[in-house]
Amino acid sequence: MGKNKAVILAALAAACLFSLAAGPAWLSDPSVILYLRLPRTLAALAVGAGLGLAGALFQGVLKNPLSDPYILGTSAGATAAAVFCFLAGIERTSPLFFAAVFCGAFGATFFSYWLARLAGRMSDAGLVLAGVAVSAFLSALVMLALSAARERSFSILYFVMGGLYTVEPEVVAVSGAIITVCAGLAFSRWRALDAMALGEEKAYHLGADPARERVIFFALACAATSAAVAIGGTIGFVGLMTPHMIRLITRPSARTMIPAAALGGAAILTAADAAGRVIFLPAEVPAGVIMALAGAPFFMWLLWRRAGAKQ
Amino acid sequence: MTPLVKVSGLSFSYGEDELISNMSFEVGSGDFLCVLGPNGSGKSTLLKLLTGFIKAGRGVVRVGGADASLAPAGLLARLLAYVPSETSTPYDFTVREMVLLGRTARAGFWRGYSSEDEAAAESALRETGIAALAGRSVNALSSGERQLAFIAQALAQETRLLLLDEPTSHLDLKYKADIMALLSGLSRRGMAVAAVLHEPALARLGCNKVLLLGRGGRYSFGPAVELLAPPRLAETYGLPADSPLLDK
Repeated sequence: MGKNKAVILAALAAACLFSLAAGPAWLSDPSVILYLRLPRTLAALAVGAGLGLAGALFQGVLKNPLSDPYILGTSAGATAAAVFCFLAGIERTSPLFFAAVFCGAFGATFFSYWLARLAGRMSDAGLVLAGVAVSAFLSALVMLALSAARERSFSILYFVMGGLYTVEPEVVAVSGAIITVCAGLAFSRWRALDAMALGEEKAYHLGADPARERVIFFALACAATSAAVAIGGTIGFVGLMTPHMIRLITRPSARTMIPAAALGGAAILTAADAAGRVIFLPAEVPAGVIMALAGAPFFMWLLWRRAGAKQ
Repeated sequence: MTPLVKVSGLSFSYGEDELISNMSFEVGSGDFLCVLGPNGSGKSTLLKLLTGFIKAGRGVVRVGGADASLAPAGLLARLLAYVPSETSTPYDFTVREMVLLGRTARAGFWRGYSSEDEAAAESALRETGIAALAGRSVNALSSGERQLAFIAQALAQETRLLLLDEPTSHLDLKYKADIMALLSGLSRRGMAVAAVLHEPALARLGCNKVLLLGRGGRYSFGPAVELLAPPRLAETYGLPADSPLLDK
């Protein structure tokens, strides 16, 4: 086993142990661990893997290290679709729910991409701005819908904030399967993703049709994001941070990045969720808030570093 | 013998202005074609029409017998290799990883690299003289070294046709001379090379055919000795016939 793989697997194991132990009774009550914390740990692993994978795919296919399902509006699209499903009475375990959430994610992502390309040559910053605009509009729609549906809005608001309070095993199982399939399919095209990381024109001349690869990788990233959102609502920055952290310890090629980002994302979110349970005991902080507290400064640092590199 | 590139009646316009008008020419094995012309005359657009990246033109472009506007990207990447004027990536691929990506069309998207792929990459690294840089990040290279890395990637594609868009721009004289010597050597060994250049003096370092593009879709195609004559260049670029920039 390579040293880098060992580091990622050790981080994942440590995050799982932390998640199983985190809480008032720590490791003293096996039934709490088995029936409460284990399902939650599995949910965190699935959500983190889905978002980490989606971040790696977006950053590769768009040749843009600022890409992430949260920043591109993918998560906002999935969340908006999920909220409208809740309000329409569609169960989270229904195939219709997963289909609607995927359509929301895919539609929002392509709309951001289309907006960013309107000006001709797409810039990194233009894509981020388009994603911010789409996310803001969809978030406003969600808030409008929640304001109109007062009696159910409180529980849905917790979903929108992003957290793993209520874990439905069936949703975790289906989402976990979707994320695993997406990771497998993405890995089967790793070289196309590497070619896209050189830009669309170069990818074409290496033999990868950029229009086709864009649709394929967008679809896989959106499916992984929507599966994650179905479990945990809007949790930002996992997809942004994970690939950058993975690149510090391993090669940037998608061949290593795809599995490493999925495992790394799983470790990061599992640790964040566990930290949220113990930092302000007995109160609990949603994983989405913990990730935003860590991720927003990380995003600022990335912008600062890129600005420095261009000067 | 079938030409590697056969252009018949090619026309292309941006809006109302015709950039390329009813152009026809052929490039065969061993040819080193230099594409010259003033800024905005359509040199880079022409290369993108030849590679099929732009498909909107009228007329026919055949590469290795395949219609460039219809052939899939995978097939075209086995017929021709293209080096754009500038390629960058925000990710720290090593030179070896970058060169190996030239094998994409042959290796497919899934499997690892075979010994044949590795050998092709090693050969391309040696040919371009950058084998010692194989482990370095492409983002840590100088402009000249990076250009050689992308030429090595194109060579690793093992095609019979190599197209380059301004391969010597922004490079110092040493790299310009090295790259022209490399391209000239490739054409002598039977490869067809077509390069967009800005400096006629460089075209004299090995090109045997020249395509001179003028404004409004006008063009001349013929032997280098004829088209690189100062009076022809002066007319194309709108320079005085006695301009020192046109001297041999």
